[in-house]
Amino acid sequence: MVLETQKALLKSDGTRLDDRLPTYVRPAFLKTGAVKVAAGSAYAEFGSTKVIVSVYGPRESKKAQAFSDIGRLNCDVKFTSFATPLRGKAGQDIGDKEFSVLLHKALEGAVDLHSFPKTTVDVFALVLQSDGGDLPAIITCASMALADAGIVMRDIVAAISLSCVGKNLLLDPTYKEETQEDGSVMVAIMTSRREITQVTLTGEWSSTKASEALELCSDACQKLGESVFLVPKVCIEEIGNFAIFQLPRPPLRN
Amino acid sequence: MVVGLSAAEKVYIAGGIAADIRGDGRGRHQFREFNIDTSVIPQANGSARICLGGTDVIASVKAELSVPPPGRPNHGKLEISVECSPTAAPEFEGRGGEELSMDLSRALQRSFLGGTSGAGAAIDLAALSIVEGKLCWALYIDGLVLSSDGNLLDALSIAMKAALSNCGLPKVEIIGGTSPEEEPDYELSGNPEEFTRLETSLVPVIVTLTKVGKHYIVDATAEEESQMTAAVSVAVNKKGSVCGLTKRGGTGLDTSVLLDMISVAKRHSAVLRRALAFAGLFSSPNVEKRPVSFCLLLFRRLDANGCRTK
Repeated sequence: MVLETQKALLKSDGTRLDDRLPTYVRPAFLKTGAVKVAAGSAYAEFGSTKVIVSVYGPRESKKAQAFSDIGRLNCDVKFTSFATPLRGKAGQDIGDKEFSVLLHKALEGAVDLHSFPKTTVDVFALVLQSDGGDLPAIITCASMALADAGIVMRDIVAAISLSCVGKNLLLDPTYKEETQEDGSVMVAIMTSRREITQVTLTGEWSSTKASEALELCSDACQKLGESVFLVPKVCIEEIGNFAIFQLPRPPLRN
Repeated sequence: MVVGLSAAEKVYIAGGIAADIRGDGRGRHQFREFNIDTSVIPQANGSARICLGGTDVIASVKAELSVPPPGRPNHGKLEISVECSPTAAPEFEGRGGEELSMDLSRALQRSFLGGTSGAGAAIDLAALSIVEGKLCWALYIDGLVLSSDGNLLDALSIAMKAALSNCGLPKVEIIGGTSPEEEPDYELSGNPEEFTRLETSLVPVIVTLTKVGKHYIVDATAEEESQMTAAVSVAVNKKGSVCGLTKRGGTGLDTSVLLDMISVAKRHSAVLRRALAFAGLFSSPNVEKRPVSFCLLLFRRLDANGCRTK
C-alpha cells in the first residue's frame, strides 16, 4: 500500500505531480497593501494556496483583559467556507483555533511588544483557498502585513512546511501530498537572525532525517525571507508592490 | 499559570540555573522524584497516575468498539484529549483552562498519532483492527491535570505511556457476518482472564527542555517555567526516533541549538524509558483492576549524559 501511495505522488523521473522536484517549493506571489482600510495588510499565494492577512491597531486592550505592561498580539485565523474541496471542512473550528495559537507563537518573538504597551494589535488571517501549507503561508503573509502596518519588528518571519512520504521529503506540500504524509515538519524562522520562532514535527523521524528536514526547511525559509524583503514596507498606493519568489531550479538528478 | 515572583526571586532562579544548582537543589539535567500508580481507575481499561513533585496527573485509556476511520479500513482509532481541572488552579475554572488543555492535547496528539497516513503512531493502528472495514477498537486516552507545578507535558506523556501499558482489551469473538454485506456479529468475552495487551514499546515519552537565560533545564517547576525564554518538547521512542516536536515561548532558537536540544532530550528519554520499563514489571494489566502503587523512582544526580554521578 505504501508503494502505491509513493507511486501516486512521485512520477517515474522523481518529480512530483506538479512537475516539482521534491526539494522545490511552489512559486509564490507576495504583495502588501491588499486591504486599504487596514493599518497594514498582505496577500500571498503559494501555488494555489491563497491567503490574505490584515493588521489593525494598536488599539486599546479590552477592559476584560488583565493589565499588561507590554502589548498584546491578537491572532485570528479563518477559512472561507469555499477554501476546501468539501464546503466547510469538517472539524474546521478546532483547526482554526489551533492555527490562531500557532500563528501567535510564530510571531510573538519577532514583534517588539514593548513598543506598544497596554494596547493590542489585531492580526486577522483569511484562507481564501487551501491547497496545503496553509499555516506557513499565513505566517509569512502575517509578518509582511505587520511590517506593512509599521509595527516594530525584530525581523521578518518566513515559514515553510515539509511532508515525509515514504522515504521522500517533499518541501512545501500540496493538500494531496499532505493527506498521504507519514510525517510533517513546519518551521518558522526570523530570516536575518536565523532564529527559529516556531517548529512543529509529527510522525516518526530518525535523528538524521529530522535534522535533514529541519535544515531543508530553514534553508528554504531563508531564501523566502530574502524575497519578502523585496516587498517594500510601505506599498505604493493603487499599484501596490509585490515580489515573486521562485527557487532557482536545481538540475534534474538522474 | 500565573506565578507572582519578586525581582529578587527571578534573579535567584536565573542565577541558580546558571550555577547548576536550582532552588530545590537539583542540577540542570535532573528530574524530580516521581511516583507512578497504575490501575487507579477501575472503570477504565488502563490507567495511571503520576506525581512528579507538585505536578499530579492521571491518564486513563478507555477502549470502545467502533467503525474504522474512512479511507483506512484496516486501522483502529486513537484519540487523545487533556482536561485541566479547576482543582489544580483557579484559573482553570470555566473556559480558563481551555487554551492550556488544547496546547497540551495538540502537543500529545502530534507526538502520539503520527502522520496523516497513520504511520509513526505510538500504537500500531493496524493492531486495533478486528474485522477489516467493519469493526475496530477505538482507544480514548484522556489526561487529567489534578495539580500543576510545571512540566505537565512530560508528566502526561509518562502517565499515558504507563496507562497504555496497563491497558487490557477484552477478547472479541467474531461469530458471523464476515461477508462484505453483513454487519459483523460478535461477542465480547466475559472472562476477565481473557484479554490482550497492547504493544506499547514504541510509545514515545516527551522530554521538555526549558531555556532560562543561556542554559536549558529538564523538568522545570512552575516558577522556573515562568522565567523561560523558550521551551522545546521532544517526543522520543524506543528506537531513538523523534516522534514529535513542539516549541513554546516567543524567543527564537538557532537551528544548531535546536538540534543539540533534540540530542540531549534523546539521552534523557532513554533514562526515563528504563525507569518506566522497571515500573512496568510491577504493573501487568491485572484482571481485578486493583490499584498497584509502586516505586519511588529516584533520579539522583543524573548528568546531561543520563549517567549517575556522585
